[in-house]
Amino acid sequence: MKSRPGNLAPHNESLFNAVLSTLDMVVFECEEDLSEFRLQGLPPDWWRQWVGPADCTVLDLGRCSPFLQEYLTSAHLAWAGTPGATEKSGPWTEPDRQGGSMTLEATALSIESKKVLLIERLGSGFKEMGTIVQRARERMLAEERTVKAYRKTETHLISKLEVSERTKDDVLALLQHLGLAALVLDERGHITFASDRGLEILGMTAEAVIDQEWEHALPLHKHDRVSIRELIDTVSVPRKTCVVCIEGPRPRWVEIEVHGDPRHPDRHIVIVHDRTELHTLRRVLNEQASFHDLVGKSPAMLRTYQLVRDVAQVDSTVLIEGETGTGKELIARAIHSCSGRKHRPFIAANCAGLTDSILTSQLFGHKRGAFTGAVNDQQGLFEAAEGGTLFLDEIGDIPQQVQTALLRVLQEKEITRLGEAKPRKVDVRVVAATHHNLSEDVVRGSFRADLLYRIRIARVQLSPLRERREDIPLLAQSFLGQICTATGKTIERLNPDTLRLLMSHAWPGNVRELKSAIEFAVISCKAKEVLPIDLPPEIISAPVVPSSSVWIPLPNRDEKSRFLAALSDAKGNRTEAARRLGVSRATFYRRLVELDIDPR
Amino acid sequence: MMQKKVCMLGGFAVGKTSLVRRFVSNVFSDHYHTTIGVTVEKKSVTVDDRDVMLVLWDLYGEDEFQRVRDSYLRGSSGYILVMDGTRRATLDAAFALQQTALQTVGTVPFISIINKADVRSEWEIDERTIEQLRERGWTVLFGSAKLGQGVEELFVTLATQIVHAAPIPRDCL
Repeated sequence: MKSRPGNLAPHNESLFNAVLSTLDMVVFECEEDLSEFRLQGLPPDWWRQWVGPADCTVLDLGRCSPFLQEYLTSAHLAWAGTPGATEKSGPWTEPDRQGGSMTLEATALSIESKKVLLIERLGSGFKEMGTIVQRARERMLAEERTVKAYRKTETHLISKLEVSERTKDDVLALLQHLGLAALVLDERGHITFASDRGLEILGMTAEAVIDQEWEHALPLHKHDRVSIRELIDTVSVPRKTCVVCIEGPRPRWVEIEVHGDPRHPDRHIVIVHDRTELHTLRRVLNEQASFHDLVGKSPAMLRTYQLVRDVAQVDSTVLIEGETGTGKELIARAIHSCSGRKHRPFIAANCAGLTDSILTSQLFGHKRGAFTGAVNDQQGLFEAAEGGTLFLDEIGDIPQQVQTALLRVLQEKEITRLGEAKPRKVDVRVVAATHHNLSEDVVRGSFRADLLYRIRIARVQLSPLRERREDIPLLAQSFLGQICTATGKTIERLNPDTLRLLMSHAWPGNVRELKSAIEFAVISCKAKEVLPIDLPPEIISAPVVPSSSVWIPLPNRDEKSRFLAALSDAKGNRTEAARRLGVSRATFYRRLVELDIDPR
Repeated sequence: MMQKKVCMLGGFAVGKTSLVRRFVSNVFSDHYHTTIGVTVEKKSVTVDDRDVMLVLWDLYGEDEFQRVRDSYLRGSSGYILVMDGTRRATLDAAFALQQTALQTVGTVPFISIINKADVRSEWEIDERTIEQLRERGWTVLFGSAKLGQGVEELFVTLATQIVHAAPIPRDCL
């Protein structure tokens, strides 16, 4: 196609066409009345592809695309404006004759008085820009899809979390409602959960235990920590427990139960049971079953313990009455230990079988040369017990002269050593004991009434063992433990038949006799339990005494027969005879005199 | 024949070109190809027994890369606001474009269509929002260029509104 040179045609036409070809655009000049657009110079090839092969030098507005038609309508503004003003159409897409499309952009401009229309095909630069925008938008869409998927997942997870939280809350509420005390330990031994009841029992706050290692968080004694660690390390079925003490201002005794977490083998669930009340009750019970070295929880013994506590609170002289072997000295020691004098000496003296001069010297001391053999000044037991307690056993046996001296000490709180004239002040509490009926002794004239009243300000009467048989198993077990420890033998228990025999025996020698019998049995025993055969023969062969019966002391003639029989069985060995009768050697000797028995 | 310029407006990738191609050529492609500039298509519809040639100006989608030129909107007899039901953000683009159109061409008829009704379960635009659009006076249609649902109705409804809004030219009587 050869274009007709128009008014815009330069002098150098070939140069003009070369410029148009390079810029890939078509140039039209508009008639003054806008009736015609005339082609200037040579158009590029794409122009023919769009408008057709006809040799057209005039733009046919009727055949133009709607976009260009509308643009040319609005382009008047540019042409009507100041010279040099331009107005671009913006890109638009047109189909070409080959079934493809091309993107074009028109520009209206005024050059001097001429109205010019440029139409250019947007080429590779424009396509590149389009590709960039396409990629950017595809990326944005992909990102939106990703965000949407994340949101969907997030919503799903939040919903699951809410369900999970609700379930957790329900379980927690149930746990709290049930008052179950539980801790959860992670694989490192850190506490990850503690129920309210658990915290209450431990006496701790959540802040103090959560995320803390249990060994550091829980105030435990070393051996308790070891016990719990063993439970954790060897979680087994059936589950084991241990009782430990949570230390603090208010110690708590708790039973620890460790379970493996079924979901995580390395995690543990610790159930805590408060056993403080149980522990306290057991302790009280144990305290009730024993008092200092006294054993027994019969009503009679419980009354005795309370009486001892009461008596210990005052400084009065005490008289302890009871049969031989009932533990009068133990009671005296308990009174001393409970009293304000417990850090001062406790001196025990047996007054039986001593002459008045020896007893006086023993009690009050003597001056050098006071009698033959008094080679040094010697303080008596009263002075030795200064500030403490003097226990005078068998006070019913002391001679009249000593009774008088003793009365003076109790009244004046001073003693005078034999051979001295000057009295010495003493601060001693006197606890006396006797198996006599001192009131009868007063009637008979063998005991001073004023002394009786002086020493019997407070009284403790001990029941014989036959009147508190329920203490026999406890006493027997206690003696068994003591004797096994002392002898190194391992005997676990008393056979039920053995216990039955012990319960049915009369025990004239009371607790002392029982202890001797157990000692005898331990020596004889070859098994893990004490059998009836191990007991002393007099217990095995003794007739069974109904438990409800009351033991009646034998008349003197029968008692004399018993003593004679014991001496005969012991082949004249007085120590063995005393042991067989369950009485002390001192009592044995005293009774021999009283029963008029010649030990030879 | 009466000719009416109708602009397709909306955010990018809402389906403007797909709706036009489904309406004009009854074809659809799942492949997304962004429009740069304007593509003009024509199709006639019958309104009240009269043929009306709709000149459809399929404009590029508006986003941070491309702003719609006012010059493209000039001379429009009506416009269609296209939204993607699965992307709530396209609702904001529709609001902005409606304001631009109002300032440029005034109160000419327009119809909004929420496209991609074929994936209704994934829509982010809920019933309450649609109700609010209708309360603002918008005509809201649902459609799917993919399935061809609501496409014919969209253009015919707008053409009808345009015809009824405009005085009938003497040469068309």
